[in-house]
Parts: sequence; structure tokens; C-alpha cells
Amino acid sequence: MTAEPPDAPVPTAAGEAAAGEADVPREAAARLATRSSASALSIPDLAACLEAGLEPVGLVQGFCAMQWAFYGAGSPYLRSASPLSGLPRGAYSEQWACPHGFVSAEHRMWGQNYEQPWVEAAWAQGFGSAFQRMLEEAGDAGAHGVIGVVDTARHLADMNVVEFHVLGTAVVVRDAPPPPGERPWSTYLAGMRLTKLLEAGMMPVSVVAAMVSVRVWASCVTEYLSEGQAYGWGTAGTAEIEQVSRARAAARSLARQRIRDQLGADELHGARAGLDSRELGQGDEVVECTLRGTRVRRFKHVDPLPAPRPTVRLG
Amino acid sequence: MSTTPTAGDLPEDAGHRLEELGEGLFTSDLSVNEFLLVKEAGFHPLGFVMGSSIYHTGVQLRKFSTSQELTKLTEAMYHARELAMTRMEEEADQLGADGIVGVRLDVNYYEWGSDAAEFIAMGTAVKSEDGESYRNAKGKPFTSDLSGQDFWTLMQTGHVPRGLVMGTCVYHIAHRGLGQALGSMGQNVELPNFTQALYEARELAMTRMQDEATELEATGIVGVRLEEKTHQWGSHTIEFLAIGTAVERTGEAVTLPRPTTIISLDN
Repeated sequence: MTAEPPDAPVPTAAGEAAAGEADVPREAAARLATRSSASALSIPDLAACLEAGLEPVGLVQGFCAMQWAFYGAGSPYLRSASPLSGLPRGAYSEQWACPHGFVSAEHRMWGQNYEQPWVEAAWAQGFGSAFQRMLEEAGDAGAHGVIGVVDTARHLADMNVVEFHVLGTAVVVRDAPPPPGERPWSTYLAGMRLTKLLEAGMMPVSVVAAMVSVRVWASCVTEYLSEGQAYGWGTAGTAEIEQVSRARAAARSLARQRIRDQLGADELHGARAGLDSRELGQGDEVVECTLRGTRVRRFKHVDPLPAPRPTVRLG
Repeated sequence: MSTTPTAGDLPEDAGHRLEELGEGLFTSDLSVNEFLLVKEAGFHPLGFVMGSSIYHTGVQLRKFSTSQELTKLTEAMYHARELAMTRMEEEADQLGADGIVGVRLDVNYYEWGSDAAEFIAMGTAVKSEDGESYRNAKGKPFTSDLSGQDFWTLMQTGHVPRGLVMGTCVYHIAHRGLGQALGSMGQNVELPNFTQALYEARELAMTRMQDEATELEATGIVGVRLEEKTHQWGSHTIEFLAIGTAVERTGEAVTLPRPTTIISLDN
């Protein structure tokens, strides 16, 4: 494996520009300078890593605690009346009108879905800052790259604070010259999966991730269907809830688009999509789709892989 | 038992059990596959060993709006685990073991003990079949949380385990004051003080773990896990525990066969 990606422009993970330079704490620098290095690799991953010519030099990590507020505010249809009128408009927005033709204080006259770019920007800043800090630690440790990256985001201590944590194992490529001070490459892969990628003639360039947030204000039809009721004469209570389906499809589609925008001419490997929803009322919810994977680049023509051998494990 | 782990502070029943194990019978919590691979690595299981400590963790005052390490609690959590580990090592030592594999370190709370917790360390003592000593730089049996499979694989990569190492830090995360909350109301922004505090807490735990590895003259730590628990202290007081197996490169060439691409026929 080569020590650095061929031709250099290395991609940016979402929001990394938000992180300042050299803001890794003193404690991290002191730990990385000690004799014994730590790695979060499992033993099989360590063995595969050594076999591929990668030597672990340290466990590296980055954190970012973000205030997390104002979920669900900022409807584009209430924009003129909202103090959040300056918020950016997203790429997706749809509205549903009431089909029943009567007016009541308890009856929803409209429903809408819209993307929440301000939530996505906060996520990108939190993830990007933590990711950048991890890469700074790896650079300080003299690493060529970071493997086995794991990222998490969780609410902290019952507060409106979300902590982003990105962790991985910094490695140097055996018998390769020291890294030229450029940004280390990074990948979610480790062990067997990383070895297979290299065997296939591809090398990791960078971790890429994107989160898309869509707010659903339920229409009357969505509200009734989510309660298991029919929404009109002659209709059945069992039907597709179109507004919710379209919100989820839009979140997934936009996440794929955001990742494509980060790839340039490279490819994505090991994509993992997660979709979370938080109910905010009857039919109302926030849908969040997070897509992450490793941007990979071909560095040699594919050598035919040996024919796979079918196996059955005993335990 | 004394609060400082010393030789011979094991319960009388443990002595009887260990005497029986010395007569040829062995017990272990290894699965059949693990047993075969431990044997394949050139080790023989001697017996299931454990150590325990019931510890009163006490109270430490914390400032409402200050993030800080709670050193008394850190010391208590460290000391309690150390007592359990030392007693387990003592049992292994009585069996003449070279090391302990598959170590599990648990904390249990009981209704009868307010602020008290039981720290338990358990594993299978093993001895080298070629007569070579694998004890660590302190002359004690090595400890490791590796499974039998991982133990075999590690040995094939030219490394030997030196000890289960850990570092802990109990940290109080400040509550946000009204002024701070109002100052950033309605914004999604980074909170640098929180970031810095949590960074420091985890780095302290990891540095302490690495210091333990350095004392064992290890060259690396594998399988590091970062665990966070609030135990019974409330959500703003968190124990950050870094734990992994310290290893040393033996200098022997890597003997692991080149991995082969397979298609697994099970899930």
C-alpha cells in the first residue's frame, strides 16, 4: 500500500472548515508522546492490519460539544411571522392541502414537509470539528492514515447539548517515507474489510458523512392515518401515509446527493445509512437520515481475486 | 482482608478450591473453540480464578457550575478494581500460572449497600506447555481480556500479552447557568468549555491506561475500549474508563498465514 493517496486533493468531510487549526488539548499531545501506543482495533483487525503493512501508532480521537436547540422551528410557510426569517431555505419542501372542505379549530387545514438546513449545518459543524481534531491528533502522531473510524453523537447529561465523538486508530505504512505534513487519509474500514479493499486495487481517501433533517407537520389526512383511522367517507384506514413516505424518501435521496457532492471522481465504499425519527405530536415528526462511508480511489488495476472458498464456521 | 492487597488475603474457601485444582482437575469459562485455540497456542488452562472487592465509594462535593475531576471518586474506582484484579492474580499465582485470559471486570450494585459496589474480576489461568515463563515485567501472571481466539491470533502476530491495563477518571460536568443559557438561546453552536472538559476527562483516563502499559514495558495496547458510566451519581458525574490489553512485540517473525477470501455460508 502507498503512504498517501495518488494526486493529492483530499476531500473534505462535512463542516470541517468550522474547526480551527491546532485546537487539540495539551493532554492529548502528552498522551501521544508516550512510549506505548494504544489502538482500538480488535485482534483480528490488528492481525489483518499488520499483514497489509500498516503499523498502529496510537488511538486518536476528537470531540465537539454543541448546543442543540430549536428543533422544528422555521417553517418556510410561517417565515414572515417567524423570528427565524433569516434561516436558509432547504432543497426540499412540499405542502398538502385539506381535502375535506370544512373549517374547524381542531382540524388541520394544511400539512408540510421541509428540509431543515440549520439543523444539518449544526450537525456538520459538530461532526466536522470532531473529525478535524482526530486528524490533527493523527498528524501529531506522524501517521499516514486513520483506520477503523467510529463516530457517535449523543445527548449529554440531560441538557440540550449533543456531543460528537470521532475515534480511530492512527497507522503508518511500513517502509514508507514519513508523511509530508499533509492531511492523513481516513476510513471506517479496518481489518479484513480494509484488506479486501486493498486487494481489489482501491485505497481509502477519506471518511465522508452527511446528515439530512426533514420536518413533518402532519396534514389532517396524515394525522388520521397515523391514528389508524379512515380520513373520509368510503376510504379505508389502511393506506400509505404519503406525507411520511415522501419525507423519508426525500431525506434518503438528499443524503445520497450530499455524499455524491463530496466524492468528486472517486467512489464510495461501505455505505451505511441510518434513519431516525422523533415524534413531536400526532403525525408530526423530525426525520433524520445519516449516510456515511469511505471515499475510495483506485490505485492499481484489479488483479483477479482468488476464487472464494465456501466455508461454514463452527462457532 | 486488608484494604491494601497483600499476599495471602484470599478467603479460606478459595484456598480449598485452588488446592483441588492443583491436583490435575481444571475448570475454565472457555468455550470449546477457545479451549482448542488456547491449547494450539501452547498453553494449558489451570483453573477459573477470580477476585472481588466490595467497596464503599463515599461522597465528594462538587461545584454546581464547574467542570472538574472528582479525584476522591477516581481513586476509589481505581483502588476497588485494583483490589479485585490483585486478588485474581493472587489466585493465579497460587496455581503457578503464566497468565490469565478472558478476564472480565464487572461492577455490581446491591440494594442492601447504599453507595457500595462489588468489583469482580474473573478469568481462566493458563500455563505455557513449553516451560517458558510468560510472566510480565513485575513477575506476575499476565492478564488479558482477550478471548481464546484473539489470544491465539495475537500470539501468531509475534506479540505476547503483558497485562490488562486501565485508566479511570470520574468527572463532574458543570451545569449551565441561566446567563450562559440565555446568551446562546436559539443557536446551535459549539460549547468550547464542555468540549474541553470532556476531552480532558477522557485524555486523563487514556493517559493513565498508557502509564500502566509503560510500567509493564509494553509496546502497545490493543482492543482499547472507552466506557462511560454514571453509576449512581446522577447524570452530571461520569466515570470515563479506558481499558485494553497491553502487548509486547517479541521480535519473532509474523507467522499468521495470508488471509484467504472466503464466502461464509452462515449469517
